[in-house]
Amino acid sequence: MNFFSTAAKKSPWLYRINAGSCNGCDVELATTACIPRYDVERLGCQYCGSPKHADIVLITGPLTARVKDRVLRVFDEIPDPKVTVAVGICPISGGVFRESYAIEGPIDRYLPVDVNVPGCPPRPQAIIEGIAMAIEIWAKRT
Amino acid sequence: MTFLKILWDNLRKGPSTEAFPFGEATTPAGYRGKVTFDAATCVGCNMCEHVCAAGAIRFAEADDGLHFVIWHNTCVSCGLCAYYCPTKAIKLSNDWHLSHLQQDKYTQLDHGVVAYKRCTSCGDKLLPTGSVLTQLAYKGPNPRAERLMDLCPECRRKASTRGEAI
Repeated sequence: MNFFSTAAKKSPWLYRINAGSCNGCDVELATTACIPRYDVERLGCQYCGSPKHADIVLITGPLTARVKDRVLRVFDEIPDPKVTVAVGICPISGGVFRESYAIEGPIDRYLPVDVNVPGCPPRPQAIIEGIAMAIEIWAKRT
Repeated sequence: MTFLKILWDNLRKGPSTEAFPFGEATTPAGYRGKVTFDAATCVGCNMCEHVCAAGAIRFAEADDGLHFVIWHNTCVSCGLCAYYCPTKAIKLSNDWHLSHLQQDKYTQLDHGVVAYKRCTSCGDKLLPTGSVLTQLAYKGPNPRAERLMDLCPECRRKASTRGEAI
């Protein structure tokens, strides 16, 4: 058990939730993970396809009214402890969609957020910086 | 045999991964990042607040001057404020290190005060006319106009009627 907790500290798995994002931040997240220039896997993380495997969850988008229940349901499926990173200004403050009738966010009304990465969209290096902060928090939580 | 050339090129060039976060990241000079504000050159025209797409900029009047506040967490870095600023008091730096912890969310602000001057004639408060704006308006120093800079709009109008203006 000790071995697993030591290993988990060094290899958090990332999971991405799109809470009604315009896809700008999602493209940057894909860039961060997929192209060798940025290569987020150097930090020991890896994207996973199932919320049940996730340790660090990256949320993009302003939490639209239509997607809110689904996002909360998926978020509840992620086992504790977890670290939440809000990527882009939309989940942080609502961005240009703030105070719209279709928006339920900012996301910290409903979910506990740990790290904010502002930008529209944030550049891949900024996302890596945010993930590095999340990994520090993750190491303390496990 | 082209793969040998590609292999050789890749060996020669080395890894293409950027060193960040273990080293410095390259940032283009024209990258639109954090907004910077210079209260000394601002003339308080409120144009940046008017054009701000995300409502990140707020101006508030107080006793000591005009308070400028920008919340970086809702700024989309579109650059409209910098484009429309007549005196270029507001600029976009290429600083992108904006990631922060949740407890610092509401402290990601930049604040500046455009201090009021006092009218030399009646003592009423007025916004300072920066030297950048006079340069824009008169294309050079204009001593006759500069005499009117220390007057409030009301006194300025009276002085102009008396023939002290340009």
